[in-house]
Amino acid sequence: MTDSVEPFEFNQCVSILKSTGSRAKNLVEMRRAISRIDEESIFHHVHQYFLKGHMLEYTNDFSQWAGESLEQRALAERLSCIDPYTFKTIDAVRNEIIREIDDFLSCSPEPGDVVKGNEFYFNQTVSLIFPVGVKTKNLAEFLVAIQHIDSGSIYYHFYDSRVRLGEGVVDDFSRWIEHTLFRKEIADRIRAIDPFMHSIESIRHHISEILEEYVRADMEGVVQ
Amino acid sequence: MIKEYSGIAPKSDLLLIQKLCDKLKGKSFVHVNSTREGGGVAEILHRMIPFLQEQGIDARWDVIEGDADFFDFTKKTHNALQGNREKFTKPMWDHYYEVNRRNRRNVDLKADCVLIHDPQPAPLIDFRPKSGKGRNNIWMWRCHIDISNPMPSLWSQLKKHVVKYDTAIFSVPKFAKSLPINEFIVTPSIDPLSDKNRDLSDEEIHAVGEKFNIPRDKKLILQVSRFDKFKDPIGVINAYKIVKKYNDCALILAGSPATDDPEGEAILNEVKEYAGNDPDIIILLLPPDNHKEINALQRMSDVILQKSIKEGFGLTVSEAMWKEKPVIGGAVGGIPLQIVHGVTGFVVYSPEGAAFRIRQYLNDPVMARTMGQQGKEFVRKNFLLTRQIRDYLAVWYCSANKGKHMIEL
Repeated sequence: MTDSVEPFEFNQCVSILKSTGSRAKNLVEMRRAISRIDEESIFHHVHQYFLKGHMLEYTNDFSQWAGESLEQRALAERLSCIDPYTFKTIDAVRNEIIREIDDFLSCSPEPGDVVKGNEFYFNQTVSLIFPVGVKTKNLAEFLVAIQHIDSGSIYYHFYDSRVRLGEGVVDDFSRWIEHTLFRKEIADRIRAIDPFMHSIESIRHHISEILEEYVRADMEGVVQ
Repeated sequence: MIKEYSGIAPKSDLLLIQKLCDKLKGKSFVHVNSTREGGGVAEILHRMIPFLQEQGIDARWDVIEGDADFFDFTKKTHNALQGNREKFTKPMWDHYYEVNRRNRRNVDLKADCVLIHDPQPAPLIDFRPKSGKGRNNIWMWRCHIDISNPMPSLWSQLKKHVVKYDTAIFSVPKFAKSLPINEFIVTPSIDPLSDKNRDLSDEEIHAVGEKFNIPRDKKLILQVSRFDKFKDPIGVINAYKIVKKYNDCALILAGSPATDDPEGEAILNEVKEYAGNDPDIIILLLPPDNHKEINALQRMSDVILQKSIKEGFGLTVSEAMWKEKPVIGGAVGGIPLQIVHGVTGFVVYSPEGAAFRIRQYLNDPVMARTMGQQGKEFVRKNFLLTRQIRDYLAVWYCSANKGKHMIEL
């Protein structure tokens, strides 16, 4: 029976960092650069933040810089609340960032320049996508793969898919579980994991926990 | 060789190397620099070239030759790119260009990809074939130096060469410039299997301790670096002197001379004089091939410093972290990329700051051990040789596929 199942094929995304040559030493320069910079740079600093493993305090590079270098914690918190995966286009994310900066500047004194060396450097990436040679056909195989697959693979299927598929909220894992394995309940539970509140490793942990519960139930013959 | 890294390096890096090598199989890839020994670039090239050859890439490494005047000039350019004021004359620039012109016959200029390391061989771009084989090859200039705040007149001269390349590669985003060519960021790396980083037995470590009369009954603080004022060896001694008031410890300053660094000896003498007669300050001038000795010194140490005030990247930090050692580094160059403050080590701004963090480590071995373990994992994911090989191949491949932001392999 499993032969007819379309397998889940794990891909990997590796991003090679590229400099745009643009930088900002204060908030006004930052705003100007954000309004003009390529979409790829916004995408890198906001969406690809999750690739960094959440070692930092805020949820995108702009808010991190506002908090740590510009020392404007209120602005950093506001920028941190922008969830890029709720916007349909990168330009919409860009406009939201600019709106928050404008709002901040309209009611707060303009912050000065950051210490030399702490300027914001606008980067972007070239993403290389390739299959890692792991395919799964059922929930148990999928669980083992999730537990051991490289974190870049989880990023690709859990975060990047939300932009790639253009659907705003769906990850590759839950799509496959719902549409191929017909396990909507599991898919819904995976979709309920908030990508914003977790590092990639913690996403791995949560998905594993959910899958383990159902795999165990399947093994023990408990009807879900 | 790639199999030797399996289980050590992240699997995704090894897979991507294989995919890219399949695409680039049989093509020639030439690296050019100015020294076979001394410094991180030469060390990595010694390993990277055979690795690439084994993967089917026709990889080679050419070294340009120069006289004392040439290396004196390029040392000055190195210092000026790091922000020092230096005097340059037209005859100096002419000689620099002439040495490169003479070297054009020693370098395979027709290779599919030519990667020029640092400013010494930068003018070779002028001898890129203008027709026939090699006309459409990729030329990349790789800058290992902190050029975030260069002497302006020097940079504007050097930039004339740089903009002729297809791609520039910098170690850290803040080193990148506003240039009309592709600019990639590739952090340097360490080789976990080299003599400098491989696991050593207790006997091997003990033997090195005996060889250099290291007092193993004291806490050991170590800095490994060339004797260069930008590595701030005097600041390290000052930090040690503060710590010494509270903790019995010894300081080891270990470095090797580089053939392209005429200033090294003068700095070494200054450091010796400053250390005075303190028997617990051990200054070791090691030959460039004493990798195992450096490895053992790092493994026997309790705290490892890289208190630079200017730095390209500061790979000795990753070397120390790979050995699970607690590290302290100056907040310059690539050091903050390796040391996530409070997670994989401490970043400091002064000898006093360094002294305080040394004391913290010496008094809290649990914290020191935790940070050491976190540091090793951070290096595994980000600063191993395989990641750098992956990036060079990717930058070459991306440069050949200019303009694409997503490439499926």
